[in-house]
Amino acid sequence: MALLEVRGLVKHFLGVTAVDRVDLAVEPGELVSLIGPNGSGKTTLFNCVTGYLAADGGQVLFRGHDLTSAPPHRVARLGVARTFQQVSVFPRLSALENLLVFLQQHQEEHLLARLVRTRRVRRLEAEAIERARRLLDLVGLAAKADAAAGSLSYGQRKLLAFAAALMPDPELLLLDEPAAAVNPTMINQMKDHILALHREGRTVVLVEHNMDVVMDISQRVVVLDHGQKIAEGPPEAIRRDPRVIEAYFGR
Amino acid sequence: MRRAGWVVLGVLVAAAPWVVAAVAPRQQRYIVHVLIFTALFAALALSYDLVVGHVGSLSLAHPAFFGVGAYTAAILATQFRWPFLADLPAAALAAAVVAALVGVPLFRLVEHAFAVGTLGLGLVAWIVANNWVEVTRGPLCITGIPKPTLGGLAITTLPAYYWLALTALAGVGLLYRGLTTFRLGRAFHAVRDNEPLAGAAGIDPRKYRMLAFTIGAAIAGGVGALYAHYLSVMCPEEMTIALTVNLLVIVFLGGVGSLRGVVVGAVLFTALPEVLRLAPTWRLVIYGALLLLVVVRSPGGIESLLRRASGAGAAR
Repeated sequence: MALLEVRGLVKHFLGVTAVDRVDLAVEPGELVSLIGPNGSGKTTLFNCVTGYLAADGGQVLFRGHDLTSAPPHRVARLGVARTFQQVSVFPRLSALENLLVFLQQHQEEHLLARLVRTRRVRRLEAEAIERARRLLDLVGLAAKADAAAGSLSYGQRKLLAFAAALMPDPELLLLDEPAAAVNPTMINQMKDHILALHREGRTVVLVEHNMDVVMDISQRVVVLDHGQKIAEGPPEAIRRDPRVIEAYFGR
Repeated sequence: MRRAGWVVLGVLVAAAPWVVAAVAPRQQRYIVHVLIFTALFAALALSYDLVVGHVGSLSLAHPAFFGVGAYTAAILATQFRWPFLADLPAAALAAAVVAALVGVPLFRLVEHAFAVGTLGLGLVAWIVANNWVEVTRGPLCITGIPKPTLGGLAITTLPAYYWLALTALAGVGLLYRGLTTFRLGRAFHAVRDNEPLAGAAGIDPRKYRMLAFTIGAAIAGGVGALYAHYLSVMCPEEMTIALTVNLLVIVFLGGVGSLRGVVVGAVLFTALPEVLRLAPTWRLVIYGALLLLVVVRSPGGIESLLRRASGAGAAR
């Protein structure tokens, strides 16, 4: 059974159909890329899946749970993590705290336990700090643990947001343009990180414009144009697909 | 060294009535009265800062919760002869219930609309207090609210009331710290700083906003009860927009989101207008000029001045 299943998803914006009856199934452990020209509906699709936009039709299923009208925090707690195209961090929290926020809601949420700081909550906190330090180390930000996230460079914030998404050990990771607007070294770094996740058996869906990255790492590529899915297949086939070439370059 | 400084400050604050009696015996009543007001205002401002400073919702409805608490305590104590230790929690609970009820529709509004919505609530509460004469006695005020008793201990003297208010402030301060640090504080701050991202982190923004709003209201209601018992009179004028302005001044010029800043703000902006009575003609002019000075010189409030003073890196 597919981990994520999108069935006939429709989203309109003031008469424009941004997502037009899209079907998409992602199997556990897959690394899928979603590509398409600007405005083809990739990010809108992400937003509908993660509860940031209400779909006008169709269904989103994750491990059999219906996510179609679930708010973002519920989607997140079911094990779907996402990053944002515009790099998004909590600027006034430290880098470490940014990561901690992403795990704590998954661990416990009893408000009174949090207020009185029961032994269990303190132990969970210690574990969370340990995990956060490991992830900061992984993305090369260990030295910045106590720096306010707002003081980091653009690329560092991007890595921080990526590490934060990994904090709760999500089953499905939706990455919105992880390689956009960063330097070539960082792009390679990102690519390695994503491949490492894939090797660990994690399921990743990627929205990306950088074709080198997409063709290099994806197992399967899904192409959207004007909200419709126009092609789907392994990178090699997509590269030669006449419909894709037409969508990108025109006739 | 630093620790010693805090101990000295703590002793001075706790012993303030005696210190005042020694330094200015003839003015003791008046000065202790101002100190009681300061402690109550500090507690109220901390409860307000939970909402404005920590979840970033600019509520203008705080006087409504203060008033609900004050009137609840006043009515229970005068009409139903409830003891202080019972009407205090009832006041906090009543304010919290009102907040939970109005919070549901209010938090569907965002930013400016939320501020205006809460302003409306504040005005409605004041109008109700003024016109629901059968219950609140309207502009005639509820009078004869008894002095509180704790068990067998009657709080009748000004110093005793000062220590009661100080204990309340300490309790509110502890609760404030517990709520605004560690995991709860982090969740509040995540909602304040980046709501969409907080959602992606699994935080339900509305739940945390409601939590801060309701707890803030409960504390305000409790402070209202203390206030009504202290003055022994409760009038609708105690819950006008002027109170909101006072709270805004204390919180924003003291230091939004900071325990120390808010308390220092409460001390300065409650005591200062009184000190300035020495120059009655120029009192409000000087007060206004000082407000301007703080805003211009230190937009982050007194707290950011204190931080700079105690060394940029070491402070926090």
